[in-house]
Amino acid sequence: MIRIAAVGDVHVDKDVVGRYRPALEQLPGVADALLIAGDLTRHGTVEEARCMAQEFGDLGVPVVVVLGNHDHQSDQQDAVTGVLQDAGLVVLEGEGTVLELNGHTLGIAGAKGFGGGFAGACASKFGEREMKNFVGTTEAIAERLGAALRGLECDALVALTHYAPVPETLTGEPLEIYPFLGSYLLGQAIDSAPTALALHGHAHHGSERGRTPGGVPVRNVAHPVIKQAYNVYQLLSDEVDAGLVSI
Amino acid sequence: MTPQLDEYVEAEIQRLLAETGSVAEQGITIARREHLIVLGGEVESAQRRDEICRQINQHFPDVEIACDIGIVRAQAPTEVEEIS
Repeated sequence: MIRIAAVGDVHVDKDVVGRYRPALEQLPGVADALLIAGDLTRHGTVEEARCMAQEFGDLGVPVVVVLGNHDHQSDQQDAVTGVLQDAGLVVLEGEGTVLELNGHTLGIAGAKGFGGGFAGACASKFGEREMKNFVGTTEAIAERLGAALRGLECDALVALTHYAPVPETLTGEPLEIYPFLGSYLLGQAIDSAPTALALHGHAHHGSERGRTPGGVPVRNVAHPVIKQAYNVYQLLSDEVDAGLVSI
Repeated sequence: MTPQLDEYVEAEIQRLLAETGSVAEQGITIARREHLIVLGGEVESAQRRDEICRQINQHFPDVEIACDIGIVRAQAPTEVEEIS
């Protein structure tokens, strides 16, 4: 059994430091790792990244994150990544990592992702250079995510993105902004590997549960969606954790 | 005198909340009523909620606001979901 805690869109700045900590201190007893689905900060500044590192560092379990669009706002994403890595967090962008947990290996491939929309209403690489760049950006990210997923050897494989790979977990958001919330290309990348679970954030008014066309369970763990410090998901079940109620 | 709360005002407020550095919120909903706007959604702290209202008051002093923005809870979970 592997238990994964997950949350996204925590938007940490100095006014949030300390809010998550009491729940995070309980993590070693309830989960084997924490995955964070982007939007770690408000504006992507180094100062905010330090607050994030303070709040989510030294937890006693591995912490694996991807960046979100907010973490790019100040064009300091490399410096933000550096601060988080210095605090021991694993930051993924088109790459993967394997954790050894409870005698099992958990593979996590992560990428921020990007927009473009979904089948029936998706953007195409056609027309203005800006439009081609928009769709091309998502294509490149999705290709790297798929390659990272397919390249991992592990007992359980998890995809971690900020943008959504399916429209189901956007239910509750205005239809008009779906193309800015995710892309089917991310779902296609996830379906190209034996992925056990896909986690994303970004859609604050979305819904928690969905499936890719290939059948992979998708969970929107944006903080305003799950309404608690983190959710816990159990993979490779061989027993139910005694500390938490199974649903 | 309450100004007309048209789509342009709504769009301007939405962009203000996303693009103003002290706010940077994209998840705030704006519902237009006859004489006021109702703000919805959730943020990470009371300071952020108050700053949203302050910014709107500053830029649209004639617009009446009803603030239903909540603070997202951050308690530990009591349940685990088995993925299959």
